[in-house]
Amino acid sequence: MLLRGLSWLVLCQLLGTGLNALFLPMLPGPIIGLVLLFAFLLLRGEVDEPLQLAASSLLKYLPLLLVPPAVGVMAYAEAIAADFWAVIGALLLSLVLSVMFAGWMMQKLIERQQRRREDA
Amino acid sequence: MSLDWYGAWQAVTHHPLFGAGVTLGAYQVAMAAYERTRWMFLQPVLLSMAMVIGVLLLCGLNFAEYRVSAEALTLFLGPATVALAVPLFLNLRRIRQLFWPTVLTLLVAGVLATVLGVALAWSFGAERIMLMSMAPKSVTSPIAMLVASQIGGIAALAAVFVMITGVAGAMLGPSLLRLCGVRHQAALGMALGMTAHAVGTARAMQESEECGAFAALAMSLMGVATAVLLPLALALLA
Repeated sequence: MLLRGLSWLVLCQLLGTGLNALFLPMLPGPIIGLVLLFAFLLLRGEVDEPLQLAASSLLKYLPLLLVPPAVGVMAYAEAIAADFWAVIGALLLSLVLSVMFAGWMMQKLIERQQRRREDA
Repeated sequence: MSLDWYGAWQAVTHHPLFGAGVTLGAYQVAMAAYERTRWMFLQPVLLSMAMVIGVLLLCGLNFAEYRVSAEALTLFLGPATVALAVPLFLNLRRIRQLFWPTVLTLLVAGVLATVLGVALAWSFGAERIMLMSMAPKSVTSPIAMLVASQIGGIAALAAVFVMITGVAGAMLGPSLLRLCGVRHQAALGMALGMTAHAVGTARAMQESEECGAFAALAMSLMGVATAVLLPLALALLA
């Protein structure tokens, strides 16, 4: 069960890598694989059990898989120290503005949709 | 007879599984600490990262050597990224009614969040490599790390910026949104999920079920949209 789902995931990743090398050098292989799998699910209209099982088991350990790339910070300590505060400032400022904007816009659009439904 | 302690130590620390072993151990300690305290700053990825770096420095190993010996774990990052399609699909089915508000908000606010962050950091004088590492700050870390390294940033830095954004968003987001008069649960969830990814989604789930569902959806949509559009946009600009 688990292996069957896992095989699908690996297949999508490999297809993505192939397409990346052939046509889409700017998109990473796993991202192309994600889009392929998503398109396949849309066509099928449902997620079968092996795939669901493999996906949820892998995603449960996603944080663990992210630790090795995150450790790469140690190789760039100097570059980080130089720009650290500029980046933190930009991160926080843009976060505050975009959170408020996203919430406000979604709220307005929902209200508009509701008004239209009432008019109709 | 004298035992070769030094040789044994060298054999252990240079074993091809040493990195994977240290990472597994650190991750379990970090998870236990997080589960016991539930403190947002103890994000398991960041805490494990700090512990692994500590061990590597103690053992005198550099990152290049660690990366090779942790390959057993990183190999699965690709299929795990592909697996993100499953929650995206399941979430999308739940929101048919609010499809257009969701898509429009995603496109406009998503572009704003990304462009604003990069523009501000640039005006504060950050280097290009830092800008490219922070461009995908609003998306969940596996995607952000892939995208950052694809567009000329550093995956590890992207992970740090993503985490800072997520924690700050989860802490400040709900009160900022209330301040702006955002009451609708779907709008709250959307804003939290698309700016503060997984941490924001966890926070949104505490608000209400609807809020959490929209946050999860917004997180996956923002992730995929950024992964596909950001490298394409930069390829066109360059």
